[in-house]
Amino acid sequence: MNLRRLLRPLRSRFLFLIPVAPALLVACNKEDAQSTFGTSGPIANTQADLFIFIFWIAVAVFVLVEGALIYSIVKFRRRGSDDSLPDQTHGNNKLEVIWTIIPVLILIAIAVPTVKIIYDQDGWPTDQGPVLEVKVRAHQWWWEIEYPGEDVVTANEIRIPVGQWVNFSMHSDDVIHSFWVPKLAGKMDIVPGDVRELAMKADEAGFYFGQCAEFCGEAHAKMRFRVKAEEPAAFQDWLASMRRPPVELASTDAIDGQKIFATNCATCHSVNTWQAPAARNERTRLAGLRETFLLDQDLADEDRVNLIAAPNLTHFATRETLGAGLIDLTQENLEQWIADPDAVKEGNRMKDLAAPYRDGTLTPGDVRQLAAYLLELEPVAAGTATVTPGPDTPLKRGEATFAANCSGCHSTGDDIVFGPGLAGISNRGEEAYIRESIEDPGAFVVPDFSNAMPGNFGTLFSIEEIDELIVYLKSL
Amino acid sequence: MTTIAFPTLISRPTSYTGLWSWIGTVDHKRIGTLYGVTAFLYFLVGGVEALILRAQLAQAESDLISPELFNELFTMHGTTMVFLVVMPMSAAFFNWMIPLMIGARDVAFPRLNAFSYWTFLFGSIFLNLSFFLGGAPDAGWFGYANLTGNTYSPGDGVTFWALGLTTLGVASLAAAFNFVVTILNMRAPGMGLMKMPVFVWMSLVTSILIALAMPIIAVALIQLALDRVWDTNFFNPAAGGDPVLWQHLFWLFGHPEVYILILPAMGIVSETLPVFSKKPLFGYPAVVLAGAIIGFMGWFVWSHHMFTVGLGPAANAAFAVSTMLIAVPTGVKIFNWIATTWGGKLQLNTSMLFSLGFIAMFIIGGLSGVSHASPPTDAQQQDTYYIVAHFHYVLFGGAIFGLFAGGYYWWPKMTGKKLGEALGQWHFWVMLVGFNLTFGPMHWLGLNGMPRRIATYADGMGWEMSNAIASAGSMLIAFGVLLFIINIIRTISSTQESEDDPWDARTLEWSIPSPPPAYNFARIPQVKSLDDFWYTKHPDLLHDERGEEIEVGEPVENDTHGGGSIHLPGMSYYPFITSLGVTIGVAGFMDILVEVPGTNIQFPWLSAVGIVIGLWGLMGWTFEPVSEEGGH
Repeated sequence: MNLRRLLRPLRSRFLFLIPVAPALLVACNKEDAQSTFGTSGPIANTQADLFIFIFWIAVAVFVLVEGALIYSIVKFRRRGSDDSLPDQTHGNNKLEVIWTIIPVLILIAIAVPTVKIIYDQDGWPTDQGPVLEVKVRAHQWWWEIEYPGEDVVTANEIRIPVGQWVNFSMHSDDVIHSFWVPKLAGKMDIVPGDVRELAMKADEAGFYFGQCAEFCGEAHAKMRFRVKAEEPAAFQDWLASMRRPPVELASTDAIDGQKIFATNCATCHSVNTWQAPAARNERTRLAGLRETFLLDQDLADEDRVNLIAAPNLTHFATRETLGAGLIDLTQENLEQWIADPDAVKEGNRMKDLAAPYRDGTLTPGDVRQLAAYLLELEPVAAGTATVTPGPDTPLKRGEATFAANCSGCHSTGDDIVFGPGLAGISNRGEEAYIRESIEDPGAFVVPDFSNAMPGNFGTLFSIEEIDELIVYLKSL
Repeated sequence: MTTIAFPTLISRPTSYTGLWSWIGTVDHKRIGTLYGVTAFLYFLVGGVEALILRAQLAQAESDLISPELFNELFTMHGTTMVFLVVMPMSAAFFNWMIPLMIGARDVAFPRLNAFSYWTFLFGSIFLNLSFFLGGAPDAGWFGYANLTGNTYSPGDGVTFWALGLTTLGVASLAAAFNFVVTILNMRAPGMGLMKMPVFVWMSLVTSILIALAMPIIAVALIQLALDRVWDTNFFNPAAGGDPVLWQHLFWLFGHPEVYILILPAMGIVSETLPVFSKKPLFGYPAVVLAGAIIGFMGWFVWSHHMFTVGLGPAANAAFAVSTMLIAVPTGVKIFNWIATTWGGKLQLNTSMLFSLGFIAMFIIGGLSGVSHASPPTDAQQQDTYYIVAHFHYVLFGGAIFGLFAGGYYWWPKMTGKKLGEALGQWHFWVMLVGFNLTFGPMHWLGLNGMPRRIATYADGMGWEMSNAIASAGSMLIAFGVLLFIINIIRTISSTQESEDDPWDARTLEWSIPSPPPAYNFARIPQVKSLDDFWYTKHPDLLHDERGEEIEVGEPVENDTHGGGSIHLPGMSYYPFITSLGVTIGVAGFMDILVEVPGTNIQFPWLSAVGIVIGLWGLMGWTFEPVSEEGGH
């Protein structure tokens, strides 16, 4: 078999495979969830338009240059056994100057709009109404979301109003992440120790897919999220609903689940940020939780990294996804997640951190009840809220501070949650002892407990708040 | 001649065959072979790593391998292909061809050359030992801080990475200095800089880039190692360190590194295209100048790897413009190559096909590069498969294709036998199709929102088909490599010998027997013009198209070089011993420190052992005579 003869017709045919790559691009499906085409905001629209502009220039250059190459190969290939030498051209200065200048002109045509758009997209237009500030804090491997001034905290699903500019101001608690919602805007890295800002606007309502784009460790692939853009009125309703109390638990599973949650989950996950003080304190609480572990010199590096803050679960049932945008929020998926988080998201920290997993104490019944509880966590309907009387006495204010800051670890009875139960605390020592234990938890540690309490309460609370807290504690 | 007596514990190797002769060799050709064989073996290792990655990504929601292993494999795939394949394979060609192309009998520092290879080998083995000693590095070939800190990468993998790359950097630096000095000082009489083959020019630019870029990454790697071993805080934001500092240092090295990877391949096709077109290189001065400008401008574009870090509009605009500018000299090279083929008589053998494939693929990589030289579009493309597609078109379709072109071209020079042409053509076409099937769809995957470095992806994102095609394509590439291996085996076992100058080539290496004798040139050639050897063979062409006369040189008689006999450096074990000492010395900073009794000083005892071995090697190296008396 003469291979050369067999291959000869294939040569030119195969070279035409090369243009197939750009053809694939043109035949793209704009509807795909993370497609950078079919965008719906001015930032992403402009970026896509600029890409298309560069793309067609590139296609023209591609056709001309690859065409010249293929033409030369076909036209000037050696035929038969012709051994004579072709013309010995060494160069052509005029030609070489021309093909230096033409690329310069093409690149200027690309550079001018590029630089203009870079400056246009720095920040947001000031003539299009107020900008909504949203704070994003990236964690391995989930997203903490806060609406400053609104007393609303949530996680992994960001709601924004359609037609309003939103400025995401972004921090990282651990490593570098990158915030990316392809349909709305290109990405921005989030560097620990610094703030990054990224402004965007959604032109249409939608449930937009987002994903961390900077490699951030074991579960990087599963650090996803959603942005839900809704009409401004619906967005305001949502903000208000996040400040309303939860509905009363209906099923017995949920009521039992609540108890399991309080003992096993509430140290890290809060469900009470519908209360303004708790919402305002959520960041400090999470930071404190993290600091406690990170600064614990007795822990090995391997353990320290596993001990971190966890997503807020207030009104969790109103969300549509689970595990940082991984799967739909259904009873079945939620049970699977609680029963074996590693099966859904290998590397997640809950499996290593939470006592029930380490001790293996979680029964299938517990899992069902926890899921039932979480799926009943939703706000009461607007207007039906029984208005809880505002904390107007020192005792009431102290109770509210306790609920927001302490109840995750301390029960008001005798039982141990994470720290000691506090019933009858006033019998255990003078007021000065209680005050010292709040301001400097290491001063006296109850036997059999390690000092895991955040050390920053002395500076976090005002003197009045600590006084009120003590009034409340003495009433127990 | 008197020699200083040094109590060497070992005598130098005497036999020119067998294992010990390889360990003691200082012959640039044998060292080139060692580099080539080692780099090819690592090409197989890095390739298998890639195949496993592609198998995992072939379908959505796959759990063929754990995310942990996935992260280790993509880290080691990138690290291996850059530092253990393309760089040493280029070094193999540098070693083999630079002395032959400039009419020299060896490199300037033959023992330093051996030291470079052994340090590379030991460093690469140390790096890969991590797979068996608690887990390979898993923070990416780019090792972004602060993920590489102890808190977030608690195992030893990243320490292996930092120390392994530091060792490899020592090897690269030694080699780079050696080649720069060789090229500048050891050219045959009359070979002015502008009469050097383009491959030698690109080797010179590459070596200068290595000499300047490696110290930068060495600083960053040592800082990282200190952060990890002695708890310093260069990159730890919690203690005021700056993770972005790492990115600047890494890419200030990393972008010149891209040209370190591609310029040798550009040099190779600048040799093969004229030979197989039967024409001189079109616009030799422009091609040389473009290569030098690329080498220079390569220092001013590093932040285009960081457009989404948030450096601000001024930095992004400046680096966008500088990045677009560097496309101009690159374009000039492509046009000159095409013009070289234009009007020629193209001999479409395997080497030529790989050279033409290089141009065709590099054009695609260059064009996609321009699209993310623009920060607003890069904001969507950064850290997606679009980037993966881009740099594979440049570094696989580019660098690797170019190296294959060089392999087929110089194989008869190095071994005296031609690689099989029929199998070679199959190799090329299978590779070309496999390559485009693998990396073509990745453009689309990136634009469709698939991030890089994800161990798995959800169903229903519209990524399934493209990933399946890419994985199938990777199997085809593997098949192409298999054909190449079969070709090598068949060629080695064949008895058919090649002529000394089978391609009617243009440069000096073809003026001597194939394979060359140990001393290369019986008589040192004299050079009067570019492609001097070609004109010696074609005296009818001594007038160029402008009617100017071209001069050719006569070989220099040996007695003008002293003594009338050929001096070759003697073999030596000391480079090997010194390399062993350096590698053990660096490896000793792993987590095996011992506390000095009565203090809290952590003592790297293994490093001390390495330093002793290294000093012994250096002493022997210093006092050993260059060659035994009478051993000419």
